Amino acid sequence: MRFKLIKTSNYITYKSIIVEPQVRDFFSGRIWTRNHTPFPQEKIEKYIERGYFKLRSAISIKNTSFGPFKRKRYICNRCHNSNQQEFIEFDCAKCESKCVYCRHCINMGRMSSCTELILWKGPKPKQKRNKVLDWAGQFTELQQKAANELIQSLEQNRNHLVHAVCGAGKTEILFPAVHYALNRGNRVCIATPRTDVVLELFPRFQKVFPNTTIHALYGGSPQQPGFAELVITTTHQLYRFENAFDVVIVDEADAFPYTFDESLQKAVIKARKPNAPTVFVTATPSAKILNRTKKENWGVSFIPRRFHGHPLPVPRFQSLWNYNKPFEKGSIPPKLLQWTKQRLQNKEPFLIFFPTIQLMKTAITLFENIHPNILSVYAEDADRKEKVMKLRNEEIPGLLTTTILERGVTIKNVQVAVVGAESKIFTSSALIQISGRVGRNVNFPQGDIVYFHHGITTEMDEARNEIMRLNKMGFGSSG
Amino acid sequence: MKKEIYNCLLCGTPLNENVTWKSLLGSDYPDTICSDCEGELEPVTESDSHEIISLYQYNDKMKDYLHRYKFMHDVILAKVFRNQIRKHLYKRRETIVPIPIHPEKLKERTFAHIDELLKAADLSFKQYLEKITTETQGEKSRDERLNTPQLFKLKQNVDMKNKEILLVDDIITTGTTIQHAKNLLIQEGAKSVKAFTLIRG
Repeated sequence: MRFKLIKTSNYITYKSIIVEPQVRDFFSGRIWTRNHTPFPQEKIEKYIERGYFKLRSAISIKNTSFGPFKRKRYICNRCHNSNQQEFIEFDCAKCESKCVYCRHCINMGRMSSCTELILWKGPKPKQKRNKVLDWAGQFTELQQKAANELIQSLEQNRNHLVHAVCGAGKTEILFPAVHYALNRGNRVCIATPRTDVVLELFPRFQKVFPNTTIHALYGGSPQQPGFAELVITTTHQLYRFENAFDVVIVDEADAFPYTFDESLQKAVIKARKPNAPTVFVTATPSAKILNRTKKENWGVSFIPRRFHGHPLPVPRFQSLWNYNKPFEKGSIPPKLLQWTKQRLQNKEPFLIFFPTIQLMKTAITLFENIHPNILSVYAEDADRKEKVMKLRNEEIPGLLTTTILERGVTIKNVQVAVVGAESKIFTSSALIQISGRVGRNVNFPQGDIVYFHHGITTEMDEARNEIMRLNKMGFGSSG
Repeated sequence: MKKEIYNCLLCGTPLNENVTWKSLLGSDYPDTICSDCEGELEPVTESDSHEIISLYQYNDKMKDYLHRYKFMHDVILAKVFRNQIRKHLYKRRETIVPIPIHPEKLKERTFAHIDELLKAADLSFKQYLEKITTETQGEKSRDERLNTPQLFKLKQNVDMKNKEILLVDDIITTGTTIQHAKNLLIQEGAKSVKAFTLIRG
């Protein structure tokens, strides 16, 4: 017995099996390990037997020869890593021969030569085109222009860069474009390097797209039912997709580790369908991206003004010579102490950025002496989310943090200090992002942003000049 | 070792090796982890008996290491402790016997983690033992561990008479595993049985 399942593809037929929607919905667009699926193994084997899956070895070997020199090159089929140093050979007891595994994506479960990956090639889920955009907000003129330009680019199927200052309302600009794409029958992906950003975006999109299935994917995210027409994910999770999306939007495209890790950029290319348009959204585009926009004729929207129409707070430099010493000796440098006390007195929430976890940990005990409720957060902190919530709800006066909170965090009337702004980790884009935390609220459009430094670096100068340049561009006519 | 290691195996920061006379002429292996990671490990300073020697305390760093090595199957991490293991074991005159894992478990894990530790340190060893249960000690409570029936049996055609044995395992907590193996070997006529573990829990 043969069923014809899809109208458009006349020749694909499947033998005597009824495809369960759960299996179809889960595997569409995904590239997954054969032996670790959320479904019973026998079921998966049955589908494989009937030819619903394409099988692929997890590590492929490319033989290259250059004259007499022959070389074997390994490529990981999940993360597309081809850095040979990250491939490790070992004697495998499972396949009883020499095996190779990829260390690059080992945190998501090890991929070795004898691991098999499966790709769904069965019927595709149907997408309804009756998506509702439930958003009553008002665009500023610049936002409206950017949103229109973005839709235009999608119509023309070309890439697009949205360059908007921190607090310009980037997420809102995406709403009409995502809505347009979904109603075109597209599967849309919003990828960002940071888990925090995924967690922040997910509820907002859920609210404005009430009848769209949206999944949020990050390391340790729960399994979510149904076929996601819109996927909000960390760039890392894109390793698990292939040829899946008609539109990919990369939010905070300049954040670590996306620009730093080439395989994440490859992951975006792998996850989208060939020639699907990609949208990059960022406040601090790299020179490389700006070059590409010109060369490859991308659409570009530029918003130099915040949505509330006030200029960006300009950082001020404050010397804090040899700040390491007082911390080690058990006291807070006087200037920083005074700044903190001022914030406490004015009852303004504050963030203090530190270059290293180590320095922050020595500092936190000292800050606890001034006010017992001051907390600290860093990347591996399990309560990161709760602590930021506490600051937002004004339950605690301030937070010490590493660069982990440099973006995606919006706190009303927050004041920011950067300690050791001359450190390597504070690049100009990191500093611009940090400065962008201040004055995001309409009622509190100004605020203090200080770089406490042990010598001024070019990165610091660059950050300040860029902010002043943006202010000039946004307010050039009106002064 | 064929491939040199350029980045710390645990945190990925580039290793800047200082070339010293010792590193050029000595027989030590090059470093595989950075000094920061090394500093987070806690070596065992005093040992309570010379029957059982352990190298490191079980702290957060070790927990992370063991997780990545044993459960994430990052085989290359076997090299991290090769210098220390070699230093302790290469002069021993006892026969080194690693604690085995069950064949089924081996298929699942794809490598025998104790064997790999020893291989990385270029030590020769003999597999005298065979594991007969698939259950792991780590999942059991203390009481359950102390009351488990014999976990091992001797391989066929192995003569234990008058042999001096040094058992090697990754971690010792209650000592049940080691005790089981020791009892068996003594029963079979071994002259002495000592033990060496990487970690003390």
